[in-house]
Amino acid sequence: MSETKNPLTDEVKALIGMSADKVEASPPWGIEREGLRIFTNAIMDPDPRYWDDEFAKSTKFGGIVTPPIYCSYIGRKTLAGVEDPISRAFRENPNSDGIGGVREGGADRKGQLPSLPTPLKRILNAGNEIEVYKYPALGDHIYSQAKYHDIKGRVTKDGTAMLVVTTQTTYTNQDGEVLCILRASTIRR
Amino acid sequence: MVTADELRTKKQTWFDDVSVGQDMPPLVIGPLTPTHLFRWSAAIENWHRIHYDQNFAVYHDGLPNILGQGSWKQSILPRYLKDLCLPDGWPWKVQFQHRAMIVPGDTLTVWAKVTNKRVADGLGLVEMDVGMKLQTDIETCPGTATIVLPIKGGRPIPYPFVAPKEA
Repeated sequence: MSETKNPLTDEVKALIGMSADKVEASPPWGIEREGLRIFTNAIMDPDPRYWDDEFAKSTKFGGIVTPPIYCSYIGRKTLAGVEDPISRAFRENPNSDGIGGVREGGADRKGQLPSLPTPLKRILNAGNEIEVYKYPALGDHIYSQAKYHDIKGRVTKDGTAMLVVTTQTTYTNQDGEVLCILRASTIRR
Repeated sequence: MVTADELRTKKQTWFDDVSVGQDMPPLVIGPLTPTHLFRWSAAIENWHRIHYDQNFAVYHDGLPNILGQGSWKQSILPRYLKDLCLPDGWPWKVQFQHRAMIVPGDTLTVWAKVTNKRVADGLGLVEMDVGMKLQTDIETCPGTATIVLPIKGGRPIPYPFVAPKEA
């Protein structure tokens, strides 16, 4: 019986520390009220700092701001004028799960890290780490840059090979100020 | 749930007023419905069918029901920490794992318990265990967080936040 090899190959190791391009995560018009309203309703947060101009001006933020990690979601939107990614995905695969095929080639492919050169395809979410430094404000333009923060390989007692992959995404505004840093760990097996 | 007026008029929790072992006020959300889950998927344009297409979730992926999104949980914990810090504290950092699934019908209690407090660079750091418990007491999102609460008579917490050098 052959022994399972640690999946942390030299090719995979070479990606540790590699960064993707820094890209604008916000739409061309920046942070706007309607997107903010939809988002805060979805997290059921009625905080007037997100919608009441007069009150928001009286706070330490000096105006309307967004929830702590709002900036991490705005880059996922499909921009107007592009080929509809949902129609394309289901045309190519009528059983699409609604995620992989929809995203491939979609607006959110920009600024992505290169795929890991591994045969391990199953992906499990292992956890998240968030550091917050400043809230985005209305009109801000948000930029994101992802990198492979760390990759660890191991073989479990039952011979299952796995990689623990931690990516880090740093979000900044138009002035280069760091807004928040997200680290997401996934298990590939 | 918290109202807009409660958040508008929230009184500051001071560093001086919290103690190790203290339970912070929880946030209860739920019961969640398929409509809540769908609203989140639409808000962030996450079209993964396991979150809103029950036939796909059950018969294709073998799940017990449509599932609450990890990304939603990832947004709720910072929101809860923000509420704890208002008006002048800062929800600096949080880390957590995704454990049990969330399905329609579940009610979540977002909680925090103080495990340590210390002063660094004149800022009051409060370290906590945090999580989101189901109505069955099962923990779905165990983690830890550090918030910064103002010290009575101490220096203001900078905005944008600057991490203390000693932390």
